[in-house]
Amino acid sequence: MRLIAWVTIGIALAGMLLGAGPAVAQTTFVFGNQGEPVELDPAVITDGISNRITRQVSEGLVKYDGSTTNVIPSLAEKWSVSADGTVWTFTLRKNVKFHDGTPFDAAAVVWNFDRWRLSTHPQHENQIKAGKTFEYYEAQFGGFDDKSLITKVEAVNPTTVRVTLKSPQGPFLANLAMFVFDIVSPTAVEKWGVEFGKHPVGTGPYKFVEWKVGQEVILEANPDYWDKAHAAKISRVVVRNIKDNSQRLAGLKAGEIQGFEGLNPDDVKVVRADPNLQIILRPTNTTGYLAFNFKVKEFQDKRVRMAIAHAINKKGIVDALYGGLGLVAKEFQPPSLWGYNKELKDYEYNPQRARDLLKEAGFPQGLKEITWDDGKKEPLQFWYMPVSRPYYPNPKEIGEAMAADLAKAGITVQLQTTDWTVYLDKRKNGQLPLYMLGWTGDNGDPDNFVCYFFCSPGASREGFYTNQPLTEILLQAQKLTDQGKRAELYRKAEQMIHDDVARLFIAHNQPPIPFQKKVKGYVANPTNSEFFNTVYFQE
Amino acid sequence: MGQYAIKRFLTIVPVLIGVSLIVFSFTHLIPGDPAVAMLGERATPQRVAEVRAQLGLDQPLYTQYFIYVGKILHGDLGASILRGDPVLRDLVRRFPATVELATSAILIAILVGVPMGIISAVWRNSFFDGFSRLVALAGVSMPIFWLGLMLAWCFGVVLGWLPTGFRLGTDVTLVTVTHFNILDSLLAGNWSALVSSLRHLILPAIALSTIPMAVIARMTRASLLEVLSQDYIRTAESKGLPQRAVILRHAMRNALLPVMTVTGLQVGRLLAGAILTETIFSWPGIGLWIYESIQARDYPIVQGATLFIATIFVMVNLLTDVLYASVDPRIKYD
Repeated sequence: MRLIAWVTIGIALAGMLLGAGPAVAQTTFVFGNQGEPVELDPAVITDGISNRITRQVSEGLVKYDGSTTNVIPSLAEKWSVSADGTVWTFTLRKNVKFHDGTPFDAAAVVWNFDRWRLSTHPQHENQIKAGKTFEYYEAQFGGFDDKSLITKVEAVNPTTVRVTLKSPQGPFLANLAMFVFDIVSPTAVEKWGVEFGKHPVGTGPYKFVEWKVGQEVILEANPDYWDKAHAAKISRVVVRNIKDNSQRLAGLKAGEIQGFEGLNPDDVKVVRADPNLQIILRPTNTTGYLAFNFKVKEFQDKRVRMAIAHAINKKGIVDALYGGLGLVAKEFQPPSLWGYNKELKDYEYNPQRARDLLKEAGFPQGLKEITWDDGKKEPLQFWYMPVSRPYYPNPKEIGEAMAADLAKAGITVQLQTTDWTVYLDKRKNGQLPLYMLGWTGDNGDPDNFVCYFFCSPGASREGFYTNQPLTEILLQAQKLTDQGKRAELYRKAEQMIHDDVARLFIAHNQPPIPFQKKVKGYVANPTNSEFFNTVYFQE
Repeated sequence: MGQYAIKRFLTIVPVLIGVSLIVFSFTHLIPGDPAVAMLGERATPQRVAEVRAQLGLDQPLYTQYFIYVGKILHGDLGASILRGDPVLRDLVRRFPATVELATSAILIAILVGVPMGIISAVWRNSFFDGFSRLVALAGVSMPIFWLGLMLAWCFGVVLGWLPTGFRLGTDVTLVTVTHFNILDSLLAGNWSALVSSLRHLILPAIALSTIPMAVIARMTRASLLEVLSQDYIRTAESKGLPQRAVILRHAMRNALLPVMTVTGLQVGRLLAGAILTETIFSWPGIGLWIYESIQARDYPIVQGATLFIATIFVMVNLLTDVLYASVDPRIKYD
């Protein structure tokens, strides 16, 4: 009898617990993120995991248009710039409110700008004391207070803001379109202080509801959103923290999530083979490169660098190791950027030519040892990173392929890697002679690629490379506001970098974003500025 | 026994001092800079120096250590370098998830492992004995990462019977009070949250239970075999007692002691956080949290959480020792 009772209870429990759980409601869009956000105050974050959420809640004066990096109006209806490029006047939209009811007006915009640029602003100071930084403001606008490119921000009237710059800045609007410069509610920031990052308030199509630490962030549609034509189609969004790539895919296939970031390149074919799933490709905004340390005597000889350029079979690497999503890179900027030089001819894959160049440079037996500036000799080490990056999804395999290519050309390398933070440390300290690294653009402007790396001659970020004429061209382009003239200068800069083999660009990657087939309306953007308010379900 | 318990409890203090010193040294000796980890590809020497100064990492190590100890004595385990959140607050939020998972896993391990061990010992060298020893061997040998993935794919994706991860469905609302989802569901009378919590717990608990289950089964078998060869067991059998009574009432009481020891150790290990299981099933416990913090060089979290785990370990061992006396009245403590 007792046994029968236990068996009955067991069957009843199994019936209750097993079997398909409640289907995710059609009013909820669940997205799998690769980790936990750092926090949700756009001004002090730099990571894509956090900004995926902040972008739904807050907005900037301008934004990127759809899947391009063209800048269009957002909270500002229109703008004008003075003839000398130093005074920008923005006309703001009327009748817009933050989610907490605070009016969006010129005073709120001025407050936000002052918070970013003035180290004495109470809501700037408290963040610094808490160990946070306004990293991107400093990077894009030169620093704070007297160092800031933005010298004055005034409310001309409730719907007009005037921003004065120290000198013209070509990428100014592209910078303002970045997630970091979203306008948040001054009332909320003053109420929450450093905890505002846990209680974000903006003007966006979604409002923040809850952050379950370690698990998920919940948003709900903003019923009072100012842009009725683009109001959220799905009333609830849950962004889940799912660390493991395979588990995210399992969740998608099981229907527990409807889309996610961070698909293994090897799983692209799995998703493509599933009739219930689809892949949207993000236009590439990322470049993987091979960097030379110019403190190595051998790399100071252009013939050696050119030999390495001819030795690497980029197409072979991209075809084999990017899951069909890579593009061969011939220059720093990816093709999606308007400064891209279509006419530039890449170095052809030619191991024999590489050998000939090495012979000319005084290495008839090939190259396997290097000499540092201080005279120290050591075997040539080739460093690859230990973690998958957007520009190098399989760094170990790619490193091994490049090493094999170099060997065919007579260049013998020792493959090395280390922990990611140590890798970055060593690069910063100039300890890596030949290394893989890359860059993902922030704002869709060529300056963010080329000048970031080639405007500080001799810096460790540049691999200690110096090319004054190149730097001058880039600084000149940075100050112009005419996109056509700027594009011409960037094309010229790319040619100069190429001709001098300052760096070897290997591949651009198009990150795949998998979704369930029923998900429509998602627009991928090269800068990761992607919004859920356009998403809807269609069976 | 009370005096013994108090004496044992007081030994926690030197243990924790030692742990804090070792953990502090090791975390700071790991190569890699938290400032560089935060800044990533955008790290420049100047920015790194600024961030280090902001975080107090430019102070001498001994200064940093004494500041750290001073804060602990005031109940402050520091704040996360990355997020600024107090470590203690996050521990209180995340530890219940680990306790829920660990408790479920150890319950499964005991409920399956002990009977398996008993049957193996009683029917020694039978087919069942061989089979259960094979299962136990597979349990300790199988990589949890692989097992977890297989369980999630099989029961979550292919059969669709159970969720592939997380603690609760997205459509379930649960007001968090204790951060123990099952307890909070019962307190609120929220039936759908309870069912959802249990459904999400099954697969990670099974994955996590395999190693302790195997260890408990093997120890139960070995320990019981030794006891069954004792004279008093033969006496009990010759007195005509049913075999069930001989095993459960007489043999198991003595066989249990080594089983309790390994179970206590397994409980400590599970409570330390099952990183692989938590990663595969996106279970928001402390194991995954510590692993991410090590990667990010978030020293306060690594130090604070490790101290906390050391405390748990010592407490669990103490409890195990104290329980001995209740199981075996022959044991007396000075």
